Amino acid sequence: MTTKKALSEKVKALFALKVEGIASQLEAPGVAMFCGSNRLMDIDEVSDISHELESLVASLLDSKDPTDISSAEMLALKAFFHNLSQKVLMRGGHVEDVVRYTQTVQFALIEALEKSSGVAFGQSRSVLLYFTGIFNELIMAAFGAYLDEREQTLQAQQAELRETSTPITEIWDGVLTLPIIGTLDSSRTMLVMEALLNRISKDHARAVVMDLTGVKSIDSQVSHHLMQMVRAVQLMGADAIVTGIHPEIARALVSLNIDFNTITTRANMADGLKEAFRRMGVTVGHI
Amino acid sequence: MSIFGLHLTQIGSGDFLLDPSRSLNVRDMDRLIEEVTAHLMQVRAVRLYYDLSDLGLIDPLYYSWLDALARAAHIVNVEMICIRMQPTAAFALARFIEGPPAFKTALEIQDWQN
Repeated sequence: MTTKKALSEKVKALFALKVEGIASQLEAPGVAMFCGSNRLMDIDEVSDISHELESLVASLLDSKDPTDISSAEMLALKAFFHNLSQKVLMRGGHVEDVVRYTQTVQFALIEALEKSSGVAFGQSRSVLLYFTGIFNELIMAAFGAYLDEREQTLQAQQAELRETSTPITEIWDGVLTLPIIGTLDSSRTMLVMEALLNRISKDHARAVVMDLTGVKSIDSQVSHHLMQMVRAVQLMGADAIVTGIHPEIARALVSLNIDFNTITTRANMADGLKEAFRRMGVTVGHI
Repeated sequence: MSIFGLHLTQIGSGDFLLDPSRSLNVRDMDRLIEEVTAHLMQVRAVRLYYDLSDLGLIDPLYYSWLDALARAAHIVNVEMICIRMQPTAAFALARFIEGPPAFKTALEIQDWQN
């Protein structure tokens, strides 16, 4: 966005300024925020980011329109704060550290520019407003990195939860077990079904024991999903054995008019496995 | 023996493998069923293995073809077994069929024979 408005004398002086040799004066906020007890960075690293920041600020002030927040120079500055935020978060820091750093480095920058030019930029409302606008954008960039990080963590946790809540195990050659724990909703059923059918194909499984011991309640939709899963297993050419149906679930299935005549059921996982082994001609007994 | 879109091969005593090709037009199922059942009767077939390995998806139209062929085969005393159904096809099929299909299923021919 380009703003066409009259610039004050001090803002004009700021944009005409050649920024150099102020990096050392920008180090203090970095040292205070990142080199304290949290040990997020060492002094050399803070020195590097201060030099990079000086160079990016110089490019922005020297650009065609330093007030344009979508200019390439401004985008580079935003990317710098986004990456800095990512780095701090990855090292166990907090987004507050980066926000505080951004705020304090803003004042350190104005002070450094005053010293190097001899112009009292800190006394100019227009200059302060200009820097506030720029640094608000930079704080947003730092928060953007934090939100991206949170989103990625949440997605990774959800994927892990999905995987661990439906562990498909090949307990014997050609026999898979699938203990179902918790609630079976549409999206979860689809995921479990997809994983199970792919495992049947990959392992050439001939029997699947689906254990419902961990399912405490069932409704019409869930029972429908369950039937779909059993049918899909059978269509692949494998036997589906459903075990661990609680009495209240059995009662619910009857009242929901679900036909279990075509499905093999057993009281518990042990009986289900015995049935699977029997169908495969495997006998398991005491030695 | 070949019928347009289908290839029928004897793989054992009374056992036949039906291999559909991409050119199979299941909309012409009445004619196809007549020709397949006529051949099965002629060769005294006992089992018909239908290979689904090249089919990534089974839609209601294709399912009605499989269902009709299995029922027709049953009438001439031939058991139809669909083999090598792909996970994606089983996934899709399980979502729209209401009851057990008219055909049997197996991962491989030897799985059924065992």
